[in-house]
Amino acid sequence: MKSLLLLIGSPKPSDSTSESLGNYLIQQMSARNCETKTLFIRPAISTDERREVFLSATDKADIIILASPLYVDSLPYPVTKAMEMIARHRQTSENRNGQQFLCIVNCGFPEAHHNDTAIAICRKFAGEVGFEWAGGLALGGGEAIIGKSLDKLGFMVRNITKSLDLTADDLANGKVLSHQAVTLMAKPLMPAWIYKLIGEFSFKRQAKKHQVYKNLEDCPYQWKS
Amino acid sequence: MKAVILNGSNKDDSVLFNVQKIIYDELGSIKWEAESFILHEIKIAACQGDFGCWVKTPGVCIMKDDGQDIAGAFINSDMTVLLSPVTFGGYSAELKKAVDRLICIVSPLFTKIGGEFHHRKRYSRYPILIGIGVIEKADEESGEIFKKLVSRNAINFHAPHSASEIIMSNEDTEIIQAKIRKLFRAKEVRQ
Repeated sequence: MKSLLLLIGSPKPSDSTSESLGNYLIQQMSARNCETKTLFIRPAISTDERREVFLSATDKADIIILASPLYVDSLPYPVTKAMEMIARHRQTSENRNGQQFLCIVNCGFPEAHHNDTAIAICRKFAGEVGFEWAGGLALGGGEAIIGKSLDKLGFMVRNITKSLDLTADDLANGKVLSHQAVTLMAKPLMPAWIYKLIGEFSFKRQAKKHQVYKNLEDCPYQWKS
Repeated sequence: MKAVILNGSNKDDSVLFNVQKIIYDELGSIKWEAESFILHEIKIAACQGDFGCWVKTPGVCIMKDDGQDIAGAFINSDMTVLLSPVTFGGYSAELKKAVDRLICIVSPLFTKIGGEFHHRKRYSRYPILIGIGVIEKADEESGEIFKKLVSRNAINFHAPHSASEIIMSNEDTEIIQAKIRKLFRAKEVRQ
């Protein structure tokens, strides 16, 4: 039985798109007779004791999946920190061969290719620490999911679920991600103009709720003209 | 003209401090002022991804720490230098922590640049963005990823000009000086 470790890279404690994507893939892998474990990176590296548990989990897993949001064109700080920790740890530990590493990166822009640099960093990380690179999935428009179960989102996420189903098949059979899985994940969830409309409406609504609608584009650090 | 250096060195990393000294000297030679933030020495909380700086306190992160000072210094500089050990092609965690906190300087609303969506400008002007990555041994792939990352950051932070350079930690001082001089003497920087 293969063991799979899902690492959630979102700093949010709940309702993250990373968690929704990761959970769906975990369910698919469980159904394919894999043993699964999930760790949220931010709390998992917050104390010495937890870091030990975290690093031990990365040693034991046959497959490590990082599900993370894109923060400013790359991975969020806690994920970068965790990668540095894993790299340091693996310099001094006996490393197993054949551990697979893959990533699912989602961004708040409608185009999936914004995630390319983050995926390149993941690929580089895998190579440097001795994991087998299984591939990277890039999703655009991630704000349309925010913590909802993919099973409940229906038609909008059909390409995502197809992609993750194919990914589960590939991983369960010891393969790397297929081109088809990568392509399906990168397909837009909706036309970009609709995403923009909904996204901006959502930000404006939240600003209204916090009574700062008129301040949405304030420049508080403008110290000089 | 004023430059801000965000130094993402790890503790006990003497190479990056030597590079920072060269950056100061080169900026001095073109009559620029410089201010540096040694990121591992100051308190910056990790971005929580709650968009508080967009929808609760627009333009300012809700976490009151040195991350706020860095955002202010960044937007009021003429040029910001991101100095970092190249880490899997990207920035060090220390630098990434500070960069993540800079999203408050753009608007939550969208605009199109080069046919793709980005966040709209919040301010009327943004600094030039320079990335300087320090690497222990030659690694073309890491260098390419680093340069791509800096150029993507420059688009998202609306930099009027960006450039990056990879420095080998064992390079002679003269070579490092020449590389940094070339970055700062570009016509887009001197304008």
